[in-house]
Amino acid sequence: MFDVNEFILKKAKELGFGDVVVLGYETNRRQVRFANNEITVAKNWHERKVELFVELEKRVAGTSITELSEDNIERTLKTLLSNMKGMAPKEDYYGIAEGPFEYRDIPETFDRAIVELDEPNEYVERAINAALEEGAKRVAGVLYTDHTRLYLTTSNGVEAFDEGTGIEISVRAFIGDLESGHGTNSVRVLKKFDPESAGRNAGEIAKLAQNPEQGPEGRFDVIFDPLAFANLLSYMSFMTSAYAAEAGFSFLVNKLGQRVASEIVTIKDVGNMPNGYGSRKFDDEGVPTRETTIIEGGTFKTFLLNTSMAKKYGTETTANAGLIMPHTWNIVLEPGDYTREELFSEVKRGIYITNVWYTRFQNYVAGDFSTIPRDGIFLVENGELKPIRNIRVSDNFQRILEGIKALGKESYHIHWWEVDTPVSTPYVLVEDVGITRATK
Amino acid sequence: MHELVEFAVEKALELGASYAEARFEEKNGTSLAMKNGNPEGLEFLAERGMGIRVLVDGGMGFASTNVLTKESVSEAVKKAVKLAKAASKVRNEPIRFSEEDFHEVYYEVKMRKDFRDVSPEEKMELLRKVEEEVTATGVNVPMRYLGYSDQVWHKIIANSDGAFIESVIPRVSVMYNLVVFENGQMEQAPFVQRAFSGGLELIERDEPWNWAVKDVQALKKLIYEGQKAPEGKVDLVISPEVAGIAVHESVGHPYESDRIFGREAAQAGESFVKPDMLGERIGSEIVTVIEDPTLPNSWGFYLYDDEGVKARPRYLIKDGIITEFLTNREYAYKLGQRSNASARAINYNREPIVRMANTYLAPGDYSFEELIEDIKLGVYMVSFNEWNIDDRRYQQRYIGREAYLIENGEIKHPVKRPILEITTRALWSSVDAVGKDVEMFPELAERVNRDRVSPSGWVERMRGSGIYR
Repeated sequence: MFDVNEFILKKAKELGFGDVVVLGYETNRRQVRFANNEITVAKNWHERKVELFVELEKRVAGTSITELSEDNIERTLKTLLSNMKGMAPKEDYYGIAEGPFEYRDIPETFDRAIVELDEPNEYVERAINAALEEGAKRVAGVLYTDHTRLYLTTSNGVEAFDEGTGIEISVRAFIGDLESGHGTNSVRVLKKFDPESAGRNAGEIAKLAQNPEQGPEGRFDVIFDPLAFANLLSYMSFMTSAYAAEAGFSFLVNKLGQRVASEIVTIKDVGNMPNGYGSRKFDDEGVPTRETTIIEGGTFKTFLLNTSMAKKYGTETTANAGLIMPHTWNIVLEPGDYTREELFSEVKRGIYITNVWYTRFQNYVAGDFSTIPRDGIFLVENGELKPIRNIRVSDNFQRILEGIKALGKESYHIHWWEVDTPVSTPYVLVEDVGITRATK
Repeated sequence: MHELVEFAVEKALELGASYAEARFEEKNGTSLAMKNGNPEGLEFLAERGMGIRVLVDGGMGFASTNVLTKESVSEAVKKAVKLAKAASKVRNEPIRFSEEDFHEVYYEVKMRKDFRDVSPEEKMELLRKVEEEVTATGVNVPMRYLGYSDQVWHKIIANSDGAFIESVIPRVSVMYNLVVFENGQMEQAPFVQRAFSGGLELIERDEPWNWAVKDVQALKKLIYEGQKAPEGKVDLVISPEVAGIAVHESVGHPYESDRIFGREAAQAGESFVKPDMLGERIGSEIVTVIEDPTLPNSWGFYLYDDEGVKARPRYLIKDGIITEFLTNREYAYKLGQRSNASARAINYNREPIVRMANTYLAPGDYSFEELIEDIKLGVYMVSFNEWNIDDRRYQQRYIGREAYLIENGEIKHPVKRPILEITTRALWSSVDAVGKDVEMFPELAERVNRDRVSPSGWVERMRGSGIYR
């Protein structure tokens, strides 16, 4: 596809554009959805497209081109040009990265066995069976396989290629209407794929969750399962973008260099994580991806930046372009030193939350939010787990980070429908979390 | 393109499908953003592709491609058939579709002011107008994020049962996020959207800058004059905006039959509503909730769904009784009914699933003054920020953005963040009066495989159901 990229770049320069980024994609994605222990639909998506970014005297524009004939490419570029000429410039635009760069292969991000996998249904059956063996009555979920080729060409000397694969499953197991559990597994190479573990976890939680009683309200020490905490960190990941801060969608606004979390909290974005579901060799302007520490020992160190925003703030890019909006690749909460058992034994009377969804903010800049626990929720009393239901976490994002008291020593990589940005997190114990419930 | 759509259907039948459906979609549009007064750039949307869905041996397969050649479409059809065959082996019973009447139809929504003829700079002027009007209020609004978006959505749907539906629907919207900082305090109006099916004239007539001005002025007043909301159970009057989100979350979603039958269990969740709850009382006698895709110029407008079934208004709740679920052909068959045309796909590369379009609370006959005149102590919730609901759609919460105390039949000072945290049954059982004035509010809950929807509602009064902390 580089021939298409080069043609676009050449024509764009002929027309007088300044910075030009051409990012070509070839993707094949499969999905198998299942519910009530049977497959409801199996799908295949094939896509070939180019994402184009152009700059003309500080005016910026972007589009996707899916019809890649020379005629259509020229027509698209001319349309962009005529529309941009009348526009006001983006005064805080400072260009794209100067290439070329050298790239290293990221281990465990491509596996031919996934490309050649003919039929993924056996993995679905294995996950369903694992959940049923644990006692589930109904099992639902979704399996994906991914194969992506990326071709990047920029007007600043970048020509880069990356090819990646992935396979992941999300499984939810039910016993009755109110007793459910959820498990996920997301990997980039087939030999590491473990659909049974997702099914087994879902089934185990559902079994433990039987006959729940109405949960309490007040402030409690809460143990968040990795699946649950990944949801919160996924929302936070958006707030670490400098763009989100400027637009008024981040509780980290004006907090650079300040304490925003407990001192045991270190959060990173790792673009080049081996076997990470969001890993890529380079960002959208060709800068090699890397590890960036966002919060270190509780102190907020940096927003995530592209080249233009970095220049605006007098610093260096963090390799997170997004040409307009920098974004995360894989968010990592560094693990601590507690075993799972030790973490639970820290809690005399608290709550264990295995999953959440529907995290919504009253105020993004203040960080006030609530989220709904779903699947197994448990009252923890002297090491005993008692199933409860119908509660809501109602608190403040920064306060949750400040309240982190202990971290498990094992990390889990989470990516599913509710966690768009992949997150690696251990079990997390947070003090004094606000819990509310409907009283009528 | 018509030939290619027909080719896909015929090819699938040739390869052994008992049912085949092909959907070509093309979206062309523009989006613009302005951040703190700076234009953020222009984005052109030009997307087209085809999705093919088939039934083979009772299994369902779907494949899509954006390479619109006979070869590529043929390849996609082969994949869909192969996937369906394999899926049929992991099923307890075959998937069957309800019998329906199908038509050959073309329809389009006309634009009085065609946004395709308007330059991006002129569209940016709409955002600049919001920016200027907000700035002119004198309220300190340090963060202002504004977005404009338009697209023409062209679809051709054909199936092997005789449907051939072509439609052209333009959609246009403006959104804003505004952060007010006054007196050392901060309040926010995030992701507020005004959206319609039709031309640019609808945005111009709606004047989103007036909504933005009203929001920042209300937030400033809230900061200076806002008091704690009353504790305990008091009467609550909710605006069309709040009633809209409440019907969307606690009536629209739980009445989607794919949730009721567990198909969405792993992602969007299930429902407290069960198939045998048809005819059961869920609300007071004055609660009627209608779901209607055919409302002219509404954000969720369509006349035929993505399975080619003709749309009509659906009465989900009538006089407090559950009367109808939202169905597609698969679940209509299971229920022994005809489909009520709720099959929706957000893009060519998604299968149609059961989703609502425009859900609203039917009007009553109270004026606003009549609604509040006999309230001794209550709260009027005008708009909301935070909201969520559990995955069975039963336990929900809405936190007010703009809200006022009602005392002895009069609107008094603003109250800060009143919380309605309630069950679905309690919510709809508490309604004792519904207003007669209507407003439409589009909703931003867009997720994978789900269309944007636009609930609307009438002002309603609930007795003793406002639970404030």
